[in-house]
Amino acid sequence: MRIAQWKKHVIVGIGLLAMGALRLPFERQLTVELDEERLLPPKLEIMTGEKIGQTFSAVSLGGLRTLVATFLNLRAFSYFSEQQWANVDETFNMIVDLAPRTRYYWDTGSWHQAYNAASYYLYESDLPPLRRKLAWRESIEKGRDFLERGIRNNPKDPFLRERLGVLLSDSNKIAAFGDPAKSYQEAYDSYMDAVETGNARGYAKRAALYSLARVPGREKEALELALEIKDEQGRAMPTMLGLLYTLGFHQDPDQPVLELIDSIFPSREVAYEILGTQWLRTRDRFPVHGIAKALARLEKLLNVPEEKSILKQTPQAPMDPDDYFSRER
Amino acid sequence: MNPVSIIQSIPSHVSRIGVIALHAFTQLVRMKVFYFLAFFAVILIASNFFNLPQHEGPEAAGVNILRSIKSWSLGAMTLFSVVLSIVATALLLPKDVEDRTLYTILAKPVPRIDYLAGKLLGVLLLVFISLLIMNLLMTGILQIRTNLLVTDQVAMAESRGWPAEDIALLKNDILAQGPTFSLQGAVFSVFLRATIIASMALLISTFSSSTLFTTIIAFLIYFIGHFQADARAAYFADQAGTSDGWISKLITLLIALVLPDFQLFNVIDAVIEGQVMPLFILGKLTLIGLFYVVFYILASWFVFAEKEF
Repeated sequence: MRIAQWKKHVIVGIGLLAMGALRLPFERQLTVELDEERLLPPKLEIMTGEKIGQTFSAVSLGGLRTLVATFLNLRAFSYFSEQQWANVDETFNMIVDLAPRTRYYWDTGSWHQAYNAASYYLYESDLPPLRRKLAWRESIEKGRDFLERGIRNNPKDPFLRERLGVLLSDSNKIAAFGDPAKSYQEAYDSYMDAVETGNARGYAKRAALYSLARVPGREKEALELALEIKDEQGRAMPTMLGLLYTLGFHQDPDQPVLELIDSIFPSREVAYEILGTQWLRTRDRFPVHGIAKALARLEKLLNVPEEKSILKQTPQAPMDPDDYFSRER
Repeated sequence: MNPVSIIQSIPSHVSRIGVIALHAFTQLVRMKVFYFLAFFAVILIASNFFNLPQHEGPEAAGVNILRSIKSWSLGAMTLFSVVLSIVATALLLPKDVEDRTLYTILAKPVPRIDYLAGKLLGVLLLVFISLLIMNLLMTGILQIRTNLLVTDQVAMAESRGWPAEDIALLKNDILAQGPTFSLQGAVFSVFLRATIIASMALLISTFSSSTLFTTIIAFLIYFIGHFQADARAAYFADQAGTSDGWISKLITLLIALVLPDFQLFNVIDAVIEGQVMPLFILGKLTLIGLFYVVFYILASWFVFAEKEF
């Protein structure tokens, strides 16, 4: 029996619907599973679609999002070379929308704003001082915001959390965030979050300590953390030795200074060098409890001539944007 | 026809399909489609050896070059496989009619399903071999580049006195961006998508009157197929009580039922970004791909079975 061609088309149409009904639950479930495994690309922001224009349709065809992101990364490089910071910012926003799970783009986008653009406004821009100061602060905030968005998109990535910690505790940037104590506290939290992912580098926990030690009122916890790290890592970096001293002194200011020094440092010469450096690093805002007392004792014991006394040297002042941007250039 | 005779006829079906597939493959090779591979090799070499401007932050381990190689390569594979699957399949039937080869074949005792399956297999063989060559090139270059990067970065870390655990983390970070099982899975999902597109184009070509029509419709379906998941989600959202009306509900349901969901095969981007693709996901994608192909071939046969030329 021959079936008319139009009838065949109708039957095929019905077959398509029936096949669709059969596969629908399976595909729905598979979409959920792909989403759980973070294998499906997140939806594009409408603004990104508009900005990338014709490429948007190509991107929608799938498998080309990262390719378009690679092209945009090349474009961003041109903007960076020409110091067009607004365009760098806009391009990186599109890039991370296309490839939100690529850590490199979050890190680089933030680095351009918080470090490159901020330095440009600090040293090179011809804007009036007040505008420069505002642009400097905004660039650093943008860099921070970029990293925070990156972390929300990649919650298991320790690297971006470490980068946020670095930015929040950077001596040259911290003035942009307002209260330094709050900033060090947030840097500590970020480093510890990185440690909790289980994939952070050994440096992260030490960096967490360096931030916590600079939060006034948390010296006791910082000392406990320092001792924990020393036990875990079996060695102590110079900064950590310095902190073990100042935090230990803060716990008990009446204890004999030399006994404390001898219990922490391999030698008194080393102690003098490390504590001296810490005393002069005022820009980094490390605690200096008992350092002056220790240096005075050590200089006497090590016969340091008076004119070479560290205590007589002028430490560098902390970075103050109000002071910096009001200077004549 | 009893089951025994059906089983006995399988080898002859297979042999006929094989002959037609090889013929279709040769036909396509003569159209010089493999020239694309030279183009692909140039892209790969450019992405690997030319020093494209890169932003490298102070802590970057240089892995972006590996991501670039993967995104260029998989992007080229996607474009090639989609275009070839649609155009080659759309071309096969009209070309056989034009050359009158079709009459010669159908005048012989060749079941039409063997003819259709053979033609489709020829196209898929071509796509498979092309993807295999591209994949070998990509994996080879990626492996070389990954090894170089690991050596460089480990030397740098050792010179800075990094602890062994940190060096191991750095190494794993770089290796995750190199040639992995998930990357092979992504290439296979490119092939699966091409398989579905080709079989869908075959179905369209059985009732279309021209190559151009088949090509345009297939590309349109491919494009809209990427939004099928959105239509499905909208339909189920409607069911949850946020309905805009029965017309929109009907349209979203029709799109969800009739069009293939190509979004499922967009795992490529995530893999390029370093996500791991579990084996069960690949298995499920293969199952859904096979389901589409079998249905489209049977539907094509149904339309083509008594068609007169």
